[in-house]
Amino acid sequence: MDKTIEELHELLINKKITSKELVEEALKKSHEVEEKYNAFVTILDDAKETEVTDNLLSGIPFGIKDNYSTKDILSTGSSNTLKDYVPFFNATAVQKLLDAGAIPVNKTAMDEFGMGGTGTTCHTGIVKNPWDSTRMTAGSSAGSACAVAAGVYPYALGSDTGDSIRKPAAYCGIVGYKPTYGMISRYGLFPFASSLDHCGVLCRSVKDAAIVVDAMKGIDEHDMTSWDSRDIHLYESIDGNVKGMKLCYIKELCDSKNYPNASEELKSHLKNFMEKIELCKSLGMTVDEVSIDEKLLNALPSVYVAISCAEATSNMSNLTGIIFGPRGNGKNYEEMMMDHRTKGFSPLIKRRFVIGSYILQKENQERYFKNAGRVRRMLVDAWKKLYETYDAVILPVSSGPAKHLDSDKDMLTKDTAVLEEHLQIGNFGGFPSITIPDGFVSDLPVALNITGNCYNDSKVLNIAYALESAMDYKNQIAKEVK
Amino acid sequence: MPKFTKELVDDLAKKLLIGLSEEENQMVLDEFAIIDENLRKVEDFPNIKEVTPMTHALDDFSFTLREDVATPSIPIEDALRNCDSKEGREVEVPKVVGGEN
Amino acid sequence: MGKYKAVIGLEMHCELKSNSKVFSSARNSYNEIPNDNIAPVDMAFPGTLPVVNKKCVHDALMMSMVLNCKQPEYMYFDRKNYYYPDLPKGYQITQMESPVGVDGSIDIEVNGVKKTVKIHDIHLEEDAASLDHYYATSCIDYNRAGVPLLELVTEPCLSSAEEAVAFLEHMRSCYKYCGVSEADTKKGQIRCDVNVSIMDEGATEFGTRVEVKNINSFGNVFDAINYEIKRQSELKDAGRYEEVEQETRRFDEESGTTIRMRSKVDAIDYKYFVEPNLPKFKITKEWLEEIKKEIPLLALERKEKYKSELGLSEYDASVIVKEKEYADYFEECLSLGIEAKTASNWLTTQILGEINRTEENLQDFYITPTRLKQITDEIQKGTISSKQAKEIFYKALEEKKEPKTFISSDMAQISDKEELNKIISQILEENASQVEEYKKGKDNLFDYFVGQVMKNTRGKANPVVTKEILKDKLSQ
Repeated sequence: MDKTIEELHELLINKKITSKELVEEALKKSHEVEEKYNAFVTILDDAKETEVTDNLLSGIPFGIKDNYSTKDILSTGSSNTLKDYVPFFNATAVQKLLDAGAIPVNKTAMDEFGMGGTGTTCHTGIVKNPWDSTRMTAGSSAGSACAVAAGVYPYALGSDTGDSIRKPAAYCGIVGYKPTYGMISRYGLFPFASSLDHCGVLCRSVKDAAIVVDAMKGIDEHDMTSWDSRDIHLYESIDGNVKGMKLCYIKELCDSKNYPNASEELKSHLKNFMEKIELCKSLGMTVDEVSIDEKLLNALPSVYVAISCAEATSNMSNLTGIIFGPRGNGKNYEEMMMDHRTKGFSPLIKRRFVIGSYILQKENQERYFKNAGRVRRMLVDAWKKLYETYDAVILPVSSGPAKHLDSDKDMLTKDTAVLEEHLQIGNFGGFPSITIPDGFVSDLPVALNITGNCYNDSKVLNIAYALESAMDYKNQIAKEVK
Repeated sequence: MPKFTKELVDDLAKKLLIGLSEEENQMVLDEFAIIDENLRKVEDFPNIKEVTPMTHALDDFSFTLREDVATPSIPIEDALRNCDSKEGREVEVPKVVGGEN
Repeated sequence: MGKYKAVIGLEMHCELKSNSKVFSSARNSYNEIPNDNIAPVDMAFPGTLPVVNKKCVHDALMMSMVLNCKQPEYMYFDRKNYYYPDLPKGYQITQMESPVGVDGSIDIEVNGVKKTVKIHDIHLEEDAASLDHYYATSCIDYNRAGVPLLELVTEPCLSSAEEAVAFLEHMRSCYKYCGVSEADTKKGQIRCDVNVSIMDEGATEFGTRVEVKNINSFGNVFDAINYEIKRQSELKDAGRYEEVEQETRRFDEESGTTIRMRSKVDAIDYKYFVEPNLPKFKITKEWLEEIKKEIPLLALERKEKYKSELGLSEYDASVIVKEKEYADYFEECLSLGIEAKTASNWLTTQILGEINRTEENLQDFYITPTRLKQITDEIQKGTISSKQAKEIFYKALEEKKEPKTFISSDMAQISDKEELNKIISQILEENASQVEEYKKGKDNLFDYFVGQVMKNTRGKANPVVTKEILKDKLSQ
């Protein structure tokens, strides 16, 4: 289970190992990981092997984030509002993987409905980082990142509204990829903020990311924002040829001079990143330093909160305990709904709902919601302008390695560095974006991110693949340091 | 514009059909203060009013509408399998009085 | 009343006819079985998404054009957020910012006088579920959730209950002529909200606007408006106009009054915002052109045509265009070659007489235009009299048999001049004394001779030919 999909497929085809053995191993590991890091909502102990076919994914186990609707399998979104919810249909992305012969072995824990970035707000408790269990996995795809890093299986599904795939991947030393918006259908993905929500994958190599997304993608009659990508073959298009590619990074984010109070970890992280810039150049790519209006950049985190909270408060209005979810107590429907929602949602979500609701009020819309939408466009336009010259933007992820569990309470604090949140640009513009590990700081993995223009997924994966091949972190399994 | 006060937070929460503790209420105010400050700065961006708010991640792609073909209903067992209170083929709630919206 | 000018605006919701719902592929049809027209999104299961029905957009655009509205370059949808047990998603998908039509106007006739009604907008949205109320509980049936609704909003430009109802009748007819809705108030397919305010004659500022919501018949619209005008006028007369509040009321059918639901202070903030799951849709000029070509002639246009081209009277033409199915019947008769006035007479008297008596649908009426033609052809040929024709019509209707089966050779009129000549000569010979008297000036004996001929032929003599021959012979 510590191998890549290609390697496992080879072993299966040559009958060196059976699908049944893989499933047994994945289940055994699932229980170990659950015991140690609390990564799952459900472990599917009755998972059965499948026939091994030409399909690279056939016969191989994988994990599903618990906000994907899975037929006849508990799907909670890690929320008490859906603690017993058993859907009668599969999310399109899940169905496509089942059709490919892939075997789900567990449902992974997450920040409630994806509304958090710590892995600490799951209704089943805190998910711990397999490198250091005193640290966060980050979120919201916390359980998926943890399980993949711990070697339960080669990949797990994630979803990404701000950086929910790409940040936990960084903290856990693995690969996290969200393709262009709409490449994978969102049908069956419990929504957080529909205009920002992406399906994607957490895995341990760029090629694995390509293989899995190739299987999940495609236009879906159930999702009007999905599009036809039949001419895009991610796996086949990875050739490692990046000569002449042009990259850029943003000075305001990467220059350590901009962080007068920088911690040693941040300094090392940025230094490591600049070394990787040199690596890019040595691979035949050109890399420029570019500047983006700082005022615009500084608005980013608030714009994200404004838009995501507003959409979320509406998206989760269906959670009333009337048709599904535990029925609340009360004399009338209002009391019932209120009881259900008050008991069901964690404090973080409730706070975000109130903020979203305030932002959407008629008299506030212009100032908050509409302006947030305007800045979103300005930021996206700024990035699109970069894409006129550059093939991708390369940036460090976060301000260092995984944070300690007692450090961040997921509040939007005043000193929230844009460095922590810049991956949200990828959601604003629907850009293809991949995080890959790029080194170690304090013995813990750190990562860089490559984000390209819409529909240029192949290009982004190729750059990531070239870099990955030139570094030592491919298919990295967490080694417990603490 | 009404100020974002403790009372307003409680009122909004009530309309969202959620209860908030005192502490949670204060956290909302603190958290919002930052958003408010940042988004106020945005108002000073030159020509901001001329920008069309972005409402979709991709707003440059074309798509087709669904043809008007009906599909069979989902089975009633599926529709109600997660419902805690049902009567026959319907979802049951305490008597709803008062007008619709 | 009468002292003040009433200012009335209308909101008319009309269910659209389609195979599937507006945002899901569940059936859009009346279904006795609860929760049997359901797609997952209709019950808002987590992760489900709306998908827009092309026909609904097509039909909405057609009505937008009928109302002479402007259509947007990009159409999109908005969410209207509120909590109610009949609203599974917690929001209704509707159109606020970029609806299918804005700034329109349409001409109607009120008691024969033309009036232009300005349209604020027309938009496509989804219906809510329906609630069945029991003693202590309510049960939710989601069959109606997601049924397409077209809502049109007029400017406050109507000035009486009569005008309001004339407008609603006109619109109902437009929906039916365009084939986009059955527009049946009895089936609850049309629901209206009305806004009423009053102001002094000649005043420029509008009075306080009161909204009466969810009225389900045109009669009730009429009563609600008149009740509101009366209520507000009386308060104004009494110097208590400040008691008229900007509020939402409902119409109580039993008492014929309106009852307060909520004041403006309690008005719900629906927190509208663009539906992110439905991308902005470009409405191409080509599609609009295509739809425009499909718009059929509407009632008023058909009426003009019937009058000017077919020579029908104002009254007959009005009766025929009142319902699309009447006009369609009429036009089918024409296309079969039945003469316009003949078709009009049969339709407006015998046929609609029966339809009104039995409350049957004209589409299901046994005497179809083709069957009617069997009768009218025989009259034209002179084989049967109009009296016989009517008898055949009712017999065929009663026994549900082809009219031609009742037209036997035995029944045929005697129109043959030679044969009639013989008969008439014989009768005149037998009544020589009467002939003498007639010739002396007793003119009223003419009818006696006609009667004798009829008696002799058992009513089969062609009356026109008979009279001709009689006149001819008696003048010799």
